[in-house]
Amino acid sequence: MLKIIIPTIMLIPLTWMSKPNMIWINTTTYGLLISLISLFYLNQPNDNMLNSSLMFFSDSLSAPLLALTTWLLPLMLMASQHHLSKEPLTRKKLYISMLILLQLFLIMTFTASELIFFYILFEATLIPTLIIITRWGNQTERLNAGLYFLFYTLMGSLPLLVALLYIHNFMGSLNFLMIQYWIQPLPNSWSNIFLWLACMMAFMVKMPLYGLHLWLPKAHVEAPIAGSMVLAAVLLKLGGYGMMRITTLLNPLTNFMAYPFMMLSLWGMIMTSSICLRQTDLKSLIAYSSVSHMALVIVAVLIQTPWSYMGATALMIAHGLTSSMLFCLANSNYERIHSRTMILARGLQTLLPLMAAWWLLASLTNLALPPTINLIGELFVVMSSFSWSNITIILMGINITITALYSLYMLITTQRGKYSHHIKNIKPSFTRENALMTLHLLPLLLLSLNPKIILGPIY
Amino acid sequence: MAAGLLGLGARRLLAVAATRGLPVAHVRWESSSSRAVIAPSAVAGKRTPEPTVRWQEDPDPEDENLYEKNPDSHGYDKDPVVDLWNMRVVFFFGFSIVLVFGSTFVAYLPDYRCMGCPREWNGMQEWARREAERLVKYREANGLPIMESNCFDPSKIQLPEDED
Repeated sequence: MLKIIIPTIMLIPLTWMSKPNMIWINTTTYGLLISLISLFYLNQPNDNMLNSSLMFFSDSLSAPLLALTTWLLPLMLMASQHHLSKEPLTRKKLYISMLILLQLFLIMTFTASELIFFYILFEATLIPTLIIITRWGNQTERLNAGLYFLFYTLMGSLPLLVALLYIHNFMGSLNFLMIQYWIQPLPNSWSNIFLWLACMMAFMVKMPLYGLHLWLPKAHVEAPIAGSMVLAAVLLKLGGYGMMRITTLLNPLTNFMAYPFMMLSLWGMIMTSSICLRQTDLKSLIAYSSVSHMALVIVAVLIQTPWSYMGATALMIAHGLTSSMLFCLANSNYERIHSRTMILARGLQTLLPLMAAWWLLASLTNLALPPTINLIGELFVVMSSFSWSNITIILMGINITITALYSLYMLITTQRGKYSHHIKNIKPSFTRENALMTLHLLPLLLLSLNPKIILGPIY
Repeated sequence: MAAGLLGLGARRLLAVAATRGLPVAHVRWESSSSRAVIAPSAVAGKRTPEPTVRWQEDPDPEDENLYEKNPDSHGYDKDPVVDLWNMRVVFFFGFSIVLVFGSTFVAYLPDYRCMGCPREWNGMQEWARREAERLVKYREANGLPIMESNCFDPSKIQLPEDED
């Protein structure tokens, strides 16, 4: 694991000591090389874990998420280059350092083997994200957004700290590889119910669960493009990953405790999808669609069947790439018209046909078109939830329909129809933007050829 | 190279049109083969007069148009040399190194899933299929039976001695 962590740490001196016109080139280059190294961890020989050291390990669940995290750093750098071009040099370097620090904490979080170590880094990822949102966001609402983001997550995760310390006391160790073999069934008692809640609430807030999702539209909308990308693609998956790890300790109480959260997720996915149909703000639409997709992951993790875990893992990777791509597309609109309102830049297909192709492909993957991995994830989750309870198929079916509706609504509003009067001011697409979209899309399409690496440890 | 669906020339024209307005004719020309006529614009001035009302959608005066100074801009930087090298670096390391080598690496990953115990974990299925096809082809070519009824070679089994 050090072969990824040390190069990532060294990216920080690289930004501060590079020549001013080389900072972007250097960091993008080495970021891409680090992502190449992280692909080696996809070679998972068996169901068990690859133990790198006392502190780090990699698993079929954490390796794809690790690859996603390291792949996203160069993409974030490319996306931020334009809006930071007017800033003074020190501020540019600070921004890049924040992104690199966030990447470092995320790498360590996904590979941590001790649960308290995982918790510390889980909290540590909040700090660079908060700085990115509140310092470099574009509107005044960013302060409120930062507040919501920080305090929702902190409120959820403080009980997790207490619960982890209790479990450590009780079991003797929190090393994830060992406690798998020591777990005893958790009987149904009030204190165990609170223990279950304490363990899960942090990840429920992070996912986010429908009732606790208020921080997400604010944070995603107010963050600059790199902040939105990393929030949607990776930080939400921290919640899913944490939930999948911690539910191994909480059986069989999960069968009893999962009901309210299942109800909230099933209802919430329909609600947030419906809200998407009424959005005027493009980034807000994509943010609510993230809530809807993550509600599927929550359902999958709470059901705890082999197929649902495969679906959850596939859906996390697929949604990471898709959502990040949609935010990049929205940002390409924003950089031209300085507004997030959808109808202000409509009919773009006549003007920017290549960008329209990326919009089409991103919308198609968002609505889970076969044979993309989005479909594999959603289908596995729908099937396993049907076997859990037959009625859920109605709710899932409604959700899939409304997902298709709002994805196509977003596509048609921005791309089709007659353009507005001021469209002559829109500059042609840059190579940078086209490269960014392709770098998001190609891994997604390549994975549909070989999805077994993202199907998680149960495959 | 990767200039998109619009050619390089068309992009330049579009960029110029965005900044300076559409090109105009200076003299009147009538086609001899068709009824086409190109005439100077009846409206005075090269472009439409500045609107008196400022709209939100109008270009922000502080917005710099990267195409103005460098029509071949790739969108990375104002300096054309840095811009070009940044584009090259992204394409080389991003596509040629990571995507190509990474896909090759992932495609040739061994058929894992607990290679030690194939029956329980459905492991080595692809290998088993390939091996079976290879053996069938070999045995058919050499006239051997495709499969023998003995699971193990009987000459290698050592039975304990008969006891009377």
